[in-house]
Amino acid sequence: MTLLLAIWLLPLAGAIVNWAFGPQLKRAAGIIGSAAVGLPFIGTLLTWRAATSQAPGIHQHLFSWMPGFDFGLLLDPLSLIWTLIITGVGFLILFYSIGYMWPDPAIARFFAYMNFFVFAMLTLVLSDNFVGLLIGWGLVGLASYFLIGFWFYKPAAVAAARKAFVINVVGDVAMMFAIFMIFAKIGSLSFASVFGNVGALDGWLFWICVFLFIGAAAKSAQIPLHTWLPDAMEGPTPVSALIHAATMVTAGVYLIARCWPLWNASHEAQVLVGTIGGLTALAGALLGMAQWDIKRILAYSTMSQIGYMIMGVGVTAYQAGVAHFFTHAFFKACLFLGAGIVIQKLADEQDIRRMGGMRSRAPVAFWAMFAAVLAISGFPGFAGFFSKDAVVYGALEHGHPWLYAVGIITAGITAYYMFRLFFVTFFGTYRGETAAEHEHEHDPAHAPGWIMAAPVAILGVFSVIAGYAMIGANSAWSRLFAQTFPAENVPSVAISEGWTTAILFVVMAAGIAIAYLRYATPVALANAPARLQLESERMPAPLVKLFYFDDVIDWLFVKPSQALGKFFGSWLDPDVIDGAVRGVVAISVGLANVVRGWQTGLLRSYALIVVLGAAAFAIYYALQGAVR
Amino acid sequence: MHPDLLPVALANYVGLSSVIFVIGVAGVLLRRNPLIMLMSIELMWNAANLLFLAFARAWLNNAGHIFAFLVITVAAAEAAIGLAIVVVVFRTRTNVDVDEVAAMKG
Amino acid sequence: MTVAFWILAVLLVASAMFVITAEKPVHSVAGLLAHFFFLAVTYFMLSAEFLAVIQLIVYSGAILMLFVFVIALLSSGVAPFTLGPDRLPKMAAPATLIVAIMLAFVGYGISRAPAIVPVIHGVAAGPVGAAGVFGSVADFGYALFTANLLPFEITAFILMVAVVGVILLAGDHAPYVPTRRRARIVERDMREAIARAGEE
Repeated sequence: MTLLLAIWLLPLAGAIVNWAFGPQLKRAAGIIGSAAVGLPFIGTLLTWRAATSQAPGIHQHLFSWMPGFDFGLLLDPLSLIWTLIITGVGFLILFYSIGYMWPDPAIARFFAYMNFFVFAMLTLVLSDNFVGLLIGWGLVGLASYFLIGFWFYKPAAVAAARKAFVINVVGDVAMMFAIFMIFAKIGSLSFASVFGNVGALDGWLFWICVFLFIGAAAKSAQIPLHTWLPDAMEGPTPVSALIHAATMVTAGVYLIARCWPLWNASHEAQVLVGTIGGLTALAGALLGMAQWDIKRILAYSTMSQIGYMIMGVGVTAYQAGVAHFFTHAFFKACLFLGAGIVIQKLADEQDIRRMGGMRSRAPVAFWAMFAAVLAISGFPGFAGFFSKDAVVYGALEHGHPWLYAVGIITAGITAYYMFRLFFVTFFGTYRGETAAEHEHEHDPAHAPGWIMAAPVAILGVFSVIAGYAMIGANSAWSRLFAQTFPAENVPSVAISEGWTTAILFVVMAAGIAIAYLRYATPVALANAPARLQLESERMPAPLVKLFYFDDVIDWLFVKPSQALGKFFGSWLDPDVIDGAVRGVVAISVGLANVVRGWQTGLLRSYALIVVLGAAAFAIYYALQGAVR
Repeated sequence: MHPDLLPVALANYVGLSSVIFVIGVAGVLLRRNPLIMLMSIELMWNAANLLFLAFARAWLNNAGHIFAFLVITVAAAEAAIGLAIVVVVFRTRTNVDVDEVAAMKG
Repeated sequence: MTVAFWILAVLLVASAMFVITAEKPVHSVAGLLAHFFFLAVTYFMLSAEFLAVIQLIVYSGAILMLFVFVIALLSSGVAPFTLGPDRLPKMAAPATLIVAIMLAFVGYGISRAPAIVPVIHGVAAGPVGAAGVFGSVADFGYALFTANLLPFEITAFILMVAVVGVILLAGDHAPYVPTRRRARIVERDMREAIARAGEE
């Protein structure tokens, strides 16, 4: 259907226009960029009925490259949900970016990159075959590289972009291996033919799942390929919101959900993925407790929540995992955009120790983030409550009690550190330098406040209501996915869902209470600077060092690579390769000198050569005649 | 003269011609006076002539005579040109040594 | 007959050796003259009477005279034939060795060749001096001006080229002055120019 093509290609058109006419468009690029994502959102809403009514959704065949390589677009409920989030939340974030990037001279380039990212992400979710998915996969990595390093004059940003891209490439290569293996066994790469023939994969099934998961882990920042995500916060805040919270990092979740036939067939893969997801959730939460940069806290929170999603789809609780993705997109984007408002108000201050008392100065951000923080903690009635509950209980239902326990513990820690962030940022008195606030409020080069406030408010509202689609056994959510995912026949377990909800509520309340006692009591607020300082000094070393992941990777891969590079640069290249080239030159020169030696200029030596030639002829013919 | 075939076997004439030819070559390679070199070349011409005439007599074929005649003529022309070159090159020099005329070295 | 051949052979080789080893070029010329004479005798033995005479007239009469004149020209007013250092000292051995080997091979090849059946072509051989025999003037002339006319004409052309070449190479390139009076004027101007050049 042409509508599907328009949904897919409009963002690309927006990117090209913004790229080509950036200097002329200036801030108008923001309008074009937002429209290039908002219109597809409306288009997606229009295709809702068609995508959900028939079994495989809307399928648009694009072209056939070779037998087994048919490229097309597929809009079924799974990709529909992703497309709605990408275009809908994307539109809100881009609208917000008009305000956030208002004073930046490269605003057109920003919107071009963002549009390109949306196009790439849509390629990823709308493809009906593995190769299209891989193309989208690579392109979103590229877009992420562009956007993390958007302020390319900052060395930290460039280094972060490079780190993100390299780790993503590791995942890309693993995905390629998986695709090679699939093609070798089945001979076709379209989802329909692969998922119809899962039995043919046989002995390789587990390894295909492993390689696909390595790709998913790299893209979704799961352990041990997660080290790029905190550094990726060097990019502008809208980038962090769209790419590293709502959409790109969830590509791994999408992949596993899309390949559910493979996971359903391999129990070992389920254990692997579920375990990694659970561990990542726990590690992200623990590290989030120790951060002081507001965006890094949110980054580790993202990592942790995606751990939940991965755990969900890994143990084949697909609807639960996708539900958590859906709700997470709203409250995480709301948190990031709200944090962006705070950061801008404080003239790019990101350390929460130097914030405080923002409640009165950023009221919209305060209320929206309050809703989002409640949602992420799983407060009853808010969005995260329903989805997190489903994920944790799904782990238990599918026979992973340890993951169930990990999920519960992590929920408590999540509540603790999110409320820590909330209390330290918005309560008490302002702890930063007063000059910063005065300078910012009289700065005329900032956009009208409502441009940034409106999207945050809308996202805050959705953080509340997004979960209502999942209430009940025959909820709208399960009806949506009835034909996409298999029916889950799970044995009844010892602990009922009601008890799970109660346990989660208890740990959440405990987390909020501890955060309140540490940060929000009147005593704490009064002594805030000293207490925060004390906490910084007493922070345990493993948390500060991020569980040493960066150091290990550095020691294991970076230093040997650098040593190898040095080896090549100092010995191999100049002495061996250059030496070979110089050797060739020397041989030529040597030969030339030898021949030059024959040019004596002496008549007699030339005569000798002539005589030698004649002698050779004579000998040759004499021998010829003699033989005959 | 007896209207026989050759007075002696043909191989003898071949050997004699070869020896004179070798002597001519040695003269060209070993002497440094250009005039002597030209004379050695004349020796080589004549050795070839001898061979032509020997074979002409052996096969009673006139072509050998014709060719020897042409050789004589061309040798004359070549000697003339060669001597002219020698004159031009060594007109202004103090010594007549072929080894000194090495301007095409390198 | 065999004796005559061997005597001539020794004389030919000896005179050739003398040519290439003589100290002064004039001696070489004399040796070459003797060589040509012995060659002519050999040609007579081979029933090539016309060519023997041509050899004497053209080679020893014309070409050797050229050599003599050039020797005279080069040795006038200049230290004659002082030779520089030998720049190819190790030439002798390899040179002769190679040529000797080459000729040994030639001889070997010829000795291994099958016996040649002579083809009586044209006239038969006869006593020297008889008319119309093989190698006589009539026989040679007939062959030259009928079957080999084109080479004959080309040879004439070659000789003309040689004459032109000699004049261009070694001729006097002074400008042409048409009358004697003007020649005197030119000569006086040249003398004055040389004198002026000598003063500066």
